[in-house]
Amino acid sequence: MNEAGEDMFQKILVANRGEIAVRIIRACREMGIKTVAVYSEADKEALHTMLADEAICIGPAASSESYLDMERILSACVTMKADAIHPGFGFLSENARFAELCEKCGIRFIGPSAEIIHKMGNKSEARKTMMEAGVPVIPGSKNPVFTIEEGLKTAKEVGFPVMIKASSGGGGKGMRISESEEDFEINFQNAQMESIKGFSDNTMYIERFIERPRHIEFQILADRHGNVVHLGERDCSIQRRHQKVLEEAPSIAISSELRARMGETAVRAAKAVGYENAGTIEFLLDQSGNFYFMEMNTRIQVEHPVTEAVTDIDLIKEQIRIAAGEELSVKQEEINIVGHAIECRINAEDPEKNFRPCPGTITELHLPGGRGIRVDTAVYNNYRIPANYDSMILKLIVHDKDRASAIAKMRSALGELVIEGVKTNLDFQYEIINNPDFEAGDIDTDFISKYFTK
Amino acid sequence: MLKNMFKKTYTKIDTKYHTNTIPADLWRKCNKCGKPIYIEDVYENHNICPKCGGYFRISAYRRINMIADADSFEEWDCEMEISNPLQFPGYEKKILAAREKTNLNEAIVTGRVQIGGYPAVLGVCDARFLMSSMGHNVGEKITRAVERATKEKLPVILFACSGGARMQEGMISLMQMAKTSAALKRHHEAGQLFVSVLTDPTTGGVTASFAMLGDIILAEPGALIGFAGPRVIEQTIGQKLPEGFQTAEFLLEHGFIDKIVKREEMKKILTNILKLHNGRTEYAYDAKCSQRVTSVSQLKGTRQMKARIRSAWDSVQLSRKTDRLAASDYIGALFDDFIEFHGDRYFKDDGAIIGGIASFRGIPVTVIGQEKGKTTKDNIFRNFGMPSPDGYRKALRLMKQAEAFNRPIICLIDTPGAFCGIEAEERGQGEAIARNLFEMSSLKVPILSIVIGEGGSGGALAMAVANEVWMMENAIYSILSPEGFASILWKDSKKAGEAAKVMKITASELKELGVIDRVIPEEEPANRDTLPMITEKLKQSMTEFFETWFDRDAEDIVNNRYDRFRKF
Repeated sequence: MNEAGEDMFQKILVANRGEIAVRIIRACREMGIKTVAVYSEADKEALHTMLADEAICIGPAASSESYLDMERILSACVTMKADAIHPGFGFLSENARFAELCEKCGIRFIGPSAEIIHKMGNKSEARKTMMEAGVPVIPGSKNPVFTIEEGLKTAKEVGFPVMIKASSGGGGKGMRISESEEDFEINFQNAQMESIKGFSDNTMYIERFIERPRHIEFQILADRHGNVVHLGERDCSIQRRHQKVLEEAPSIAISSELRARMGETAVRAAKAVGYENAGTIEFLLDQSGNFYFMEMNTRIQVEHPVTEAVTDIDLIKEQIRIAAGEELSVKQEEINIVGHAIECRINAEDPEKNFRPCPGTITELHLPGGRGIRVDTAVYNNYRIPANYDSMILKLIVHDKDRASAIAKMRSALGELVIEGVKTNLDFQYEIINNPDFEAGDIDTDFISKYFTK
Repeated sequence: MLKNMFKKTYTKIDTKYHTNTIPADLWRKCNKCGKPIYIEDVYENHNICPKCGGYFRISAYRRINMIADADSFEEWDCEMEISNPLQFPGYEKKILAAREKTNLNEAIVTGRVQIGGYPAVLGVCDARFLMSSMGHNVGEKITRAVERATKEKLPVILFACSGGARMQEGMISLMQMAKTSAALKRHHEAGQLFVSVLTDPTTGGVTASFAMLGDIILAEPGALIGFAGPRVIEQTIGQKLPEGFQTAEFLLEHGFIDKIVKREEMKKILTNILKLHNGRTEYAYDAKCSQRVTSVSQLKGTRQMKARIRSAWDSVQLSRKTDRLAASDYIGALFDDFIEFHGDRYFKDDGAIIGGIASFRGIPVTVIGQEKGKTTKDNIFRNFGMPSPDGYRKALRLMKQAEAFNRPIICLIDTPGAFCGIEAEERGQGEAIARNLFEMSSLKVPILSIVIGEGGSGGALAMAVANEVWMMENAIYSILSPEGFASILWKDSKKAGEAAKVMKITASELKELGVIDRVIPEEEPANRDTLPMITEKLKQSMTEFFETWFDRDAEDIVNNRYDRFRKF
């Protein structure tokens, strides 16, 4: 029994699959907690299904009928008598309704409350909350604009260069950058026309365009006793089409002074919403060291191992302890960033064919090992990767005393990693690691489109 | 493979297992897809299953909340004494039980309401109350509400849902059908609107009385609507009924419903209908609009008045081009708030005719167009713009509706001709066209017909007995296709080009003959890109038409139309 008078969970249901499910089951095994895996018909032979103490099939391969089906997962939880659910990432992890249902059924959801998930999931509300808490946000129009005149007025207030964005836009459609007043009209017209043609909507937003930004995110932990700490940052600037590809901690662009300032802001943001459990606050960092709030992720992140490596804190175990009502195991001053860690995401996809997912059977697998090398994966020899889910199959994480050593270690480890039978982005990662600008740390969110567009 | 190979790690002995207590009222089962659904999700989703999209029946007050402006509902006749004309044993007890269960006095709630700011009289049936069958009290409440609406000059909206007549009240129940229908007839003759909304299920005596008498009949998707119930029919004829029989969609296809409206859009559509039946709103000659036209033509520079002398055959080909502007393009560009209404109320909804109500610069109008379709699939659905008798009957129904509510009528003509086929003859193609000529000649509202593409013979004329007939510059209007003309006269359809020359079918030639009154210039090529410019010009001309015809009295309008055709 802990100080709050609550017992640690006896049995946790892991409402996820793949490497994150395995990662959570491992944490539970280390903590002496029983685990229940849920699996779809396509995942009968998945590692998480076999590693968990108990497993229950929750439906057909399609995620909408299995890993996304709240009723089935809750029924499984009741049947298997689990007292908490860990949602992992993706699937139901940021579904406020699911968190609410867990609460109503007396099952502990390992994550923040439904109310916070809902609040942070709504972009405009999250932005408003952050502004109220004094967290800097990207300057932009508070209200939608419809005409060139309104747009130009807002653009002048915000300051050039500006991003003109269609409310319904996506994938670059209905989006234009305007450098100055002169080219504003034509860009606004083009963006709006695209939006009208593509989405039948003329609602536009104007915001400051941040040139060559870095994606910097801060990991925070908050317990229900009001303690909030940050665990430093992760630099996730290496992205392909807004999908993170490679992450590192700490960021080369961040001085300890800036880290303290950003970390303090992140903690303030978390306190402002009354946050509980692990969360991530994403910022854009511009070339002159200004940072702006983008969004808050109310779940564990794919790239959490790099933070674990440099802080020596097990984030999943912390999540479980927090959910059970315990206090944080660390105080801010006890958190030290030691060395440098890098994570490469290995996906079963074909870089030759525009990174199309490439499921299939793994015929040969060799994993690198040794000091400072961690592999988080759910694949094994002769494992058949189902076509129904995300293509990420493995995370390779290295940790060494500084960035150069970490890069060298990653280069060696990538060279040792062998996955046969399916196409992967392994060579693509190898190219990134060997890129001189990457080695020099000269990166921003356009890195991949700059070097790797064919 | 790795199954049962991993060692267990837990050491604790399970002394206490968490026992979950799931509250009983969190979920329900969808009666359509059978899946468990979270009750709050259903409520937030307008009582529609979030998983399969199936509609749940809803209570009268919930329905009122969904469509009425907040706190605007004022209930009428909430206290009615139990009526038991046959002294039917056990009936009163049954009523009392239903009252207790539903908190309702009877199976319908009536009253005055505001929807989108527009006042109306609303009646909503509630299926929880003895399947909302119609006995004396239901009939009485409807009749009183309609009578009061007629007196106060308010539109009536009735949400129907019923198993039919109330058996326990015998013949008195049957009489309610006549009583409610008679009240609605008076309401109609007073020029007042009645919108009927059919919800699941609408059957028996309710279908055969007030529910089917709407000036406008809407229905919810998938609702069961019919006179005899499907089980009764199956037992009687000894056959299995086809899938989708007697659904709202089935009735739409067969011409008995104007429009299927999703629950979440019901308020919007009703508001729009009420708005368009609330008289002219903001009619004013829009000076800004004409300025815009000038600037557009300036923009185009000198290209405008280039030599346009071309052969009649060129016009024939231009009028038939696949990317030529269709009635639906003009409707979208010329009017606001267009609501399409379907069906002829006899047999079918004809895809070749699009019709409905809309507003032109704040003036409610009825607009009816012949539509050829843009893609192959669409072409087939629209029968290449060749209307069937059902299409002409739909057009006439909408024109009669326009007359009842004193709305001008705009017809857009674009057809190779009336459909030539077995079904068309079976259902009386000739009669349908003749009937339109006959009825249109005496409609008491102004009619404007515009030939926008092909004006193919009688098929076109059936929508062109108008006060003014206009043609787009490159449209044609003819007794027969030039190909047909050539093959009849010269036994050679290849001589169509020559035929076109002698037939006098172009806009300018027909203007000279006095068959049409006005030629509307086209930008070239006349397609979607030039649509804004073309319609700006058309809008100006139409504004003039409305100014000419607005305040003329009915007799004058009818006589003018008579004389217009008398002269030929």
